[in-house]
Amino acid sequence: MFARSIRNTLAAASKQRYICQSCLHRARKSPLALTRLSTQPRTRSLHTESEPPQPPRNATSFRKLLKDAAKQQKKKEKGAVSPRHNPRLEHWELTVGIEVHAELNTARKLFSAAATSVSEAPNTHVALFDVAFPGTQPRFNKDTLLPALRAAIAFQCEIQHKSSFDRKHYFYQDQPAGYQITQYYEPFATNGKITLYPHDFPPGAAPQPEPFDIGIKQIQMEQDTAKTVQQPPSTYLLDFNRVSHPLIEIITLPHIHDPTVAAVVVRKIQNILKSVNACTTGMELGGLRADVNVSVRQRQGHSESSHSYHGVTGLGQRTEIKNLASFKAVEDAIIAERDRQIDLLESGGIVEGETRGWTLGSKTTKRLRGKEGEIDYRYMPDPDIAPVIIGESLVKHLRDTLPKLPDVHIDTLVQTYGLTAKDAITLISLDDGARLEYYLATLHALKRDATQNEEEVPLNVLGKITSNWVLMELGSLFTDEAWDSTRISTRFLKDVVSHVRRKQITSPSGKRLLAMSFDGDKRSVAEIVEQESLLLKPLSHEEYVKLAQNLLDEKPDMVRDITEKGQVKKTMWFVGQMVARSPEGTVEPGKAKEVLKEVLGLGDQEL
Amino acid sequence: MRHFTASPLHAYPHGRENGGIHPDELEELFAEPTWSVESLLPPSTHAPDAPQVTSQQLHHLLRLSALPPPETLEQEQKMLDTLAAQLHFVGKIQEVDTTDVKPLRAIRDETAAAEETQTITIDSIKGALQKEKVIGHHYKRIQRDTAPVDAKNVEDWDVLGSAERKSGKYFVVESERPQE
Repeated sequence: MFARSIRNTLAAASKQRYICQSCLHRARKSPLALTRLSTQPRTRSLHTESEPPQPPRNATSFRKLLKDAAKQQKKKEKGAVSPRHNPRLEHWELTVGIEVHAELNTARKLFSAAATSVSEAPNTHVALFDVAFPGTQPRFNKDTLLPALRAAIAFQCEIQHKSSFDRKHYFYQDQPAGYQITQYYEPFATNGKITLYPHDFPPGAAPQPEPFDIGIKQIQMEQDTAKTVQQPPSTYLLDFNRVSHPLIEIITLPHIHDPTVAAVVVRKIQNILKSVNACTTGMELGGLRADVNVSVRQRQGHSESSHSYHGVTGLGQRTEIKNLASFKAVEDAIIAERDRQIDLLESGGIVEGETRGWTLGSKTTKRLRGKEGEIDYRYMPDPDIAPVIIGESLVKHLRDTLPKLPDVHIDTLVQTYGLTAKDAITLISLDDGARLEYYLATLHALKRDATQNEEEVPLNVLGKITSNWVLMELGSLFTDEAWDSTRISTRFLKDVVSHVRRKQITSPSGKRLLAMSFDGDKRSVAEIVEQESLLLKPLSHEEYVKLAQNLLDEKPDMVRDITEKGQVKKTMWFVGQMVARSPEGTVEPGKAKEVLKEVLGLGDQEL
Repeated sequence: MRHFTASPLHAYPHGRENGGIHPDELEELFAEPTWSVESLLPPSTHAPDAPQVTSQQLHHLLRLSALPPPETLEQEQKMLDTLAAQLHFVGKIQEVDTTDVKPLRAIRDETAAAEETQTITIDSIKGALQKEKVIGHHYKRIQRDTAPVDAKNVEDWDVLGSAERKSGKYFVVESERPQE
């Protein structure tokens, strides 16, 4: 599962415009990083090409993540101290706010007509303004509002009729003007929210059974920086293709009190952005980055918790952890920073406002530099850029034509089509939505088929069967190859599922049919079934019993394991043998199982 | 500017009554200034009311501005004095009552009519909307046409032409890390 999804992700990525891991680098690189980094000379090199490519960690399929999480949960329940019952956390409350930077899906840059690009020859998509040529002026590219507004609408923000751009001053070689253009005083979108449902969490990890909101303070547009390639020790190669690529920064309120919730928020932000086409690449390919602000305070209100962030008061001194490049990094970095702050406070120390870094796999965060005050950026309104005035009608149009958000689809899949939340999320997340499209196409065809045959099959039954075939059987066929919706037509799959459902063929035969089609067999299901004589020739009950008995007699020791030692699962081996030893299309596994249970006297035991 | 001083005309009520200043009065008018920008500046020796700036703060500000630090103590003192004078000036500016005054960010047409024409509508981004298509029949998604755009008119110039150092198609910089 793991290997397959990496391959699929990479295969899918190769079809899109590739964003390399190293390209990911955020616009808000601090100016002061340079001068204050003396103790951390290699920090920036993390994002340069000299680094070997890292495996795309997030490519781990969601199912796998869920499985692992479930395993972890079980382990915890078996004894080890669960973090939820970490006694320190009864005294200390964690508070987290997140800033997510996402590259917008646009054709041209934010303030010039130069093309956005990835992995093209360096310095080939650069307008004069992008490298701050004296005398050049910015020209706001209105098209960038399209993905930006869709994102803001998806997060239920208030779209500001008028917003404006400001200059954030700092000197660094990846940012030629000496300032980054961002929206500090008047961002274009404010007061949004993201709603978390239990299905967003790994099993057992949801903090409450009801949905709850995390507030989004604002979303602002800003410029990306140039790509830097470090040549140690102190030489930097600069590629300005990426400079001024449009970004949005999404700032949540400090409403988060749990590291898992933080990771879930970032993942959900990514999924929503993708679902409205606001951005195309996720964290695994560098299209998204997160910074987290972390503080702790004693639960019994103490006077030193006097800080206030974004209007939320009574919080402890916070630190900021920058440039987290995976959901796991978000979660682990917060846990490490929380524990570090509590250790510090319990031993009588104080938390300093500072910027810290985190590398995957490490146990603790590392100080990068003292936190520069916002005043050090000397923000000022950019006099060269007119305010952005957004028409009501445009917002309405985009709102009305916004694609349905993932939660809506999950709801339909679970409520109407009988899927588990886990399978629903998997379907949506695979292959950029192509798998869900394929699933729905097959399901609708099956529905039509059933109606034409005047069969009454509940939609949730049909939906469940179809998802098993689309996720499991097709999943195993596409283990080594990228998904291709045309490889096995939905019509072919529909016929296979119908044949199996009507018990015209066995499910092993159905799987064989799929494999044949996968390998290029052009015949229809009906043709193959006829020519290969796959039609189920059902055995009588007596024949099943005889077959079962013969097998059981061959392996008396296994029978003893089952009947005397209670190792009932071994029965499944006999099921497999019954199918394997009979002519194709004669033994149904389900029936074989029932007969074996009967012969072995297992009654209604679950196997 | 009312805060700083009354208009010079107020000192010459006769002139006003006559509907203007008589040319004969001009010489008298110019003979003695009634106000000078100098009132915004501190005495040249020292600025008693200016906030004290420490040497450390000075170095911090210089670093933020990518300016070289002073080479001698005399230079540093001179910079501190200049800064103190500037702060005195800023203090005077801050005395102006700007309650309810909208900040002027740039000189541009701010009339309702101008705002109307600047408003971004569906029409303004029609081009981008036309480059999108809806994919999927059962699961509809939006997809932007990512075919390369023609940007020759702004990209067709020698980007590296003014570079002091280059390596292949890259600009090259040396980044030294000044001591904190």
